[in-house]
Amino acid sequence: MLFNSFSFAVFLPIVFILYWFVANKNLKYQNFLLLCASYYFYACWDWRFLFLLIFSTVLDYFTGIKMCETENPRKRKFWFWLSVSINVGFLGIFKYYNFFAASFADAASNLGMHVSPWTLKVILPVGISFYTFHGLSYVIDIYKKRIKAERNFIDYSFFVSFFPLLVAGPIERATHLLPQIKKERTFDYLKAVDGLRQILWGFFKKAVIADQCSEYANMIFANSSTYSGSTLILGAIFFTFQIYCDFSGYSDMALGIARLFGIELLRNFAFPYFSRDIAEFWRRWHISLSSWFRDYLYIPLGGSKGGTWMKVRNVLIIFLVSGFWHGANWTFIVWGLLNALFILPSVIFNTNRNNLEIVAKGKSLPSIKEFLQMVLTFALVVFAWIFFRANNLKHALSYIDRIFSRSTFSIPRLDVSKFELTSTILLIIVFLIIEWNGRENQYAIATLGRFKRKSYRMAFYFSLILTIYLFMGREQQFIYFQF
Amino acid sequence: MSRFLKRTVLFIIVAACLLASVIFVPNYIVSKKSKFNIQPGSKIVLFGHSHPECAFNDSLIANFKNLSHSAEPYFYTYQKVKKVLSQNPEIEIVLVEFSNNQIDEKMNDWTWGYKYMSSMFPLYSSFMDKSDIDLLIKHNPKDFMNCMSISTRKNLFRLVTRNYNFSDAMGGYLRIDKLRNNTSDAANGPADKATGNTTPAISTVNIDYLQKIISYCEAQHKRVFLVRSPQHKNYEFLKNEKDFVRIRTTRFSRIDFLDFNNFPLNDDDFADYAHLNYQGATKFSKWFNTMVGSGLLMNKNKQAFIDQSVSNYKAGSM
Repeated sequence: MLFNSFSFAVFLPIVFILYWFVANKNLKYQNFLLLCASYYFYACWDWRFLFLLIFSTVLDYFTGIKMCETENPRKRKFWFWLSVSINVGFLGIFKYYNFFAASFADAASNLGMHVSPWTLKVILPVGISFYTFHGLSYVIDIYKKRIKAERNFIDYSFFVSFFPLLVAGPIERATHLLPQIKKERTFDYLKAVDGLRQILWGFFKKAVIADQCSEYANMIFANSSTYSGSTLILGAIFFTFQIYCDFSGYSDMALGIARLFGIELLRNFAFPYFSRDIAEFWRRWHISLSSWFRDYLYIPLGGSKGGTWMKVRNVLIIFLVSGFWHGANWTFIVWGLLNALFILPSVIFNTNRNNLEIVAKGKSLPSIKEFLQMVLTFALVVFAWIFFRANNLKHALSYIDRIFSRSTFSIPRLDVSKFELTSTILLIIVFLIIEWNGRENQYAIATLGRFKRKSYRMAFYFSLILTIYLFMGREQQFIYFQF
Repeated sequence: MSRFLKRTVLFIIVAACLLASVIFVPNYIVSKKSKFNIQPGSKIVLFGHSHPECAFNDSLIANFKNLSHSAEPYFYTYQKVKKVLSQNPEIEIVLVEFSNNQIDEKMNDWTWGYKYMSSMFPLYSSFMDKSDIDLLIKHNPKDFMNCMSISTRKNLFRLVTRNYNFSDAMGGYLRIDKLRNNTSDAANGPADKATGNTTPAISTVNIDYLQKIISYCEAQHKRVFLVRSPQHKNYEFLKNEKDFVRIRTTRFSRIDFLDFNNFPLNDDDFADYAHLNYQGATKFSKWFNTMVGSGLLMNKNKQAFIDQSVSNYKAGSM
């Protein structure tokens, strides 16, 4: 059940009405209802994997309690590692087993040995990387005595499985979400309207920008050997907008949906393409994952406190793991490594926290320096996305090879209607203008509610709906569902 | 809470009305103002897919207009036939291509598969009945919305540019200059007549719409003929010949069938197993023109007349 599907458009109002009208003023009922709705939502993908989700939930729930019940460090360690190893084990089997088996066979054949890899024909359970990380953060926090174990099974299951974040995040923390689950929730008109507004904006990003860009990006990446370098650059730029609008659009919808139920989720994106350096980009892109790695991997490894080599090692580890988290493919690992290389100079020279505020705060335009910094950062990000999008390393390298050829100086050519292509480019420009104007807010059109003239607000909303209808691309699955 | 619900419902109603007006008003205007005029003097028109599109060079055939279009199943041809016949009363005879692949279930994909629907539906959506729309929604609801959106966009574009002329989009003779290439044909797979161990599935929807086309033409008092353009002997869909003959003789026995499948052509007259190239089309169209001139369409036993002429042609060309 996709957020942008008809079935979800039926599911959401039903849950919303039951939540506020039938279960209203009873926290237990509200949480139970949302848990049931979340399990139904997940079962719509593949009901068999619901058992895996429930097993993972039960495991973390009990190991959490066991860790809390004892002060014996050895027992705490046992329960902690039991939970971590089973969670990571499942992730390893479902997501990485075939990759390791095939890579081992490849490596062996390079050494002259013939090994037939024993691969599993497994389907990746949707959202496994996300809910595993939810559970891991909970168990780690208990082990580190940052939080106490949740004793109410319904509340804990709700924390792991809340449907807006279940399949593609944001990756929530127990310290942030569990207190909200335990607290009585009353309907807030302004919050609900804000939620709807964010859903609308997320839907626009997904249905119009991401799905339109995906058609061109797919076409160019699929036939990259036949296009000129300039067209390949265009393809990489289309993918850059596709992945941002696809994932941030999903996140906007998730945050908006949660807000309809009185719950605030962690922000996942903060206008990353307006970043002035790669470090800033990573503070603004997939924030819930970046901060997860920072808190549970980078800092425990020593963070940036040690010497230069330790910093370099930690940055390389965190980006390699981040790349690997995205998928069992060398392209993701190289993508992670490339980002590590981009960010290393600023980490070594301690300039990685130079740009903490949003660019040109309080101004309408950036300075020339800021503008050039943004363009350079954007170019590096686009370059790295080529590896992320390519089918394999060979494909990525041949794609880049064609970009660095004479054909890059030719006019990009695509065998599509000029009207369609121009309208997509215009839509991206309009989208960027709206994002730029709203860059100091939670999401681009958040301040629209402060417009005094209702007619302006309504005109904007209806224009957005009309644009969505007229320019929506073919419905595509969200990219991050595969992770 | 109730204020939120009331306002949300009101917002949805207004948005729905807005969308409905954006969809239906341009649709209505386009359906009323659309122009499907063909050149004056065309008394015979031909509808079909890419086989007749490449076979009948209408510049070589008198009083004839080829309105075939690549990858056009009968579902969309039916919409075109309605508009063309209603706007061109001088048309007397309608030829409709009926060849082996048009009974194959592949035609379902041509009707509601995204690739084909997204190009055909926007062209003819303004002229479709509710039952036609329902059929597409039933079989591909997911992509239908996107095709509706493309259709509205194109209709708005027609409104803005005041261009209601569909003549350029409704088909015509397609010239192909290339010669048949064995490598590309191998990929398509030649006919497996020898084994005959496959039972191809039939597209009942496509056959039903052929019936609708015939009924509509008859209601307009036009003479209708089914035609089969020349195909290469290795054409893969010839494997369903038995089913083809059965359907033709059971469903369309009243309609005259003009079978040009055996028209003598050389390998280098084909662009591939299914399509004639320019050289082949020229040979065939000139011959067809003489056939029409000799009274083929008036003859009582048309297929015998064709077979006799083919024999004479073979003898003459050898």
